[in-house]
Amino acid sequence: MSSLERSFYSKTSMYAFFVVLILSISVWFSTGQFKHMDMALLGYLLSSMIFAIGLTIRMCAWLLRPATHKVIHRSFKNLRTRERKNRNLKSVFITAMENIFLQKFIFKRGLYRGIQHWLISWGCIGSFAITFGLTFGWMRFDLIDPETYQIVVFNVPTMIMPAHGLLAEIIYNGLNITASLVLIGVCMAIYRRIKDNDVKVTQRFEFDILPLYILLAVTVTGLFLTVSYVLLEGFMHHYLTLIHQVTVVILLIYFPFGKLFHLPIRPLTTAVPMNYQEKVQIDTRPCHSCGAMYSNDDQISDVKGILEIQAFDLQLEDGTFLADYCPACRRRIRVMKQLNLGGPQGNPFQPIETRNGIQMSGFGKKRSEDFYEGSNESEQTTVHGGDQ
Amino acid sequence: MNKIMYLEFERCIGCRSCQAACRECGDHDAKERNYVEYVDFMESRQTYPMLCMQCKDPACARVCPANAIQITEEGVVLSAMEEKCIGCRNCTFGCPFGIPKFDFEENKMYKCDMCYDRSKHDIAPMCASVCPSDAIRFIDYDEMMQLRRKRTQMNLIEGKKPQEGNKWEYVPEFFGVYSD
Ligand code: SF4
Ligand code: SF4
Repeated sequence: MSSLERSFYSKTSMYAFFVVLILSISVWFSTGQFKHMDMALLGYLLSSMIFAIGLTIRMCAWLLRPATHKVIHRSFKNLRTRERKNRNLKSVFITAMENIFLQKFIFKRGLYRGIQHWLISWGCIGSFAITFGLTFGWMRFDLIDPETYQIVVFNVPTMIMPAHGLLAEIIYNGLNITASLVLIGVCMAIYRRIKDNDVKVTQRFEFDILPLYILLAVTVTGLFLTVSYVLLEGFMHHYLTLIHQVTVVILLIYFPFGKLFHLPIRPLTTAVPMNYQEKVQIDTRPCHSCGAMYSNDDQISDVKGILEIQAFDLQLEDGTFLADYCPACRRRIRVMKQLNLGGPQGNPFQPIETRNGIQMSGFGKKRSEDFYEGSNESEQTTVHGGDQ
Repeated sequence: MNKIMYLEFERCIGCRSCQAACRECGDHDAKERNYVEYVDFMESRQTYPMLCMQCKDPACARVCPANAIQITEEGVVLSAMEEKCIGCRNCTFGCPFGIPKFDFEENKMYKCDMCYDRSKHDIAPMCASVCPSDAIRFIDYDEMMQLRRKRTQMNLIEGKKPQEGNKWEYVPEFFGVYSD
């Protein structure tokens, strides 16, 4: 492997090369040595290849981050562990269903947002599936006689259907259906971006709004193609195809580098129930100081590992790490450090000495004796009482 | 942004106005992102307000596997980007100060962002603008330095003379976002 890697500029370029190679082979194979290539789709094919390269580069950059690498590494280790088989299967299934298919957590953020996101995401995934299926030639329709079509998948002839049947209509209109989903969703999203003041706090044009306009352009031009040949007898059809093609190319090239990139990284969510918190809101690791449950051992060891790789020194004097304490204790450690109160280290049940003599004592209280002693013998080293 | 958040924990009177104000801030979705807690309830009634340090090199962003935590050009560390956060809570456990909060329902992390829509225009964050005892202040760099000096002098008046080895114990830390 390493000698192979040496012949490339970088690991990323090696992966990109193989992705393109595999895609090309799949095209070669499923179009029967390019015999059934659809030349009208050549532009889409090239931009899809660029899209694949961009996606590979971005995925590699993302996977190389220490945090991502660590989590992915643990996921694969757990996937290979036989004892965890049940947990793995369950996690993958539940995540795929609730998080990716139904997107329940977005509906919790608001019904409007849920509907909007569901329409855009499934519209996009559907459109991508159809477009890539056709441009890479993975799927095509052969006419066997004037009334019958045959669906050919990866150059393997499968089912036969009448050219004007219901199934055929659904398949021809697949892209129209998915595009309509996206169109509704995108309009809802643009409306929200205009109306809702809360989203404006952190929104950036090139990141949050541009992808919506690109999607809008793609769907509107695409749907107008259908309108043009169904209702307007092919009015401006040629130009419309070109315009649509340009918008699609822009989308494909933008995709790996903008907001839409969250789509391919979403499956990482599986790592949460698989590696960390098996049941939502049930923690298994006690805090080093107060004993409250706050995380689990695997996660804390991952967090410590990630921090160590990146040279964060969060070890305390007694050898424990800040990650060993629950967030509430960590906040307290910070305050007590700043108030010179000594940490909850040592005996965790010992009360914290909140009066160390540094602050002004309250009016109603007498100063402690060592305050006056201290000022008399000011030559002494460290005089304050909170010297635990 | 030329201002600094300056916290003096012992000034806190535990009224939790800062938390109520935080809930009202734009984009905070009626959930507070700061903390007011007892140092040790059994020992005294002393409370403290707690906010994010807006670290220059944030541990929370470094441990995030989804790369969801962004830092603005002013140096404010924002809540997780909603589309990227996978809900692993690494940030909560990576942050040395226990700041990021997690919403299990909506599956996303949210944290103090210094009321970004206010502070980016040099307006005090909600908590600092309501704190009645000045435990949280949004002040200029020079004012902050003056306050720190005063604290040192106060300790000297009290008869606490810092030595070379322990002088840092007499000076409160300052933190927050600033650029000079
Ligand atoms: S909970 Fe979200 S923001 Fe925090 S580390 Fe995980 S993915 Fe990143
Ligand atoms: S959440 Fe914690 S690590 Fe992140 S910037 Fe704030 S204090 Fe720093």
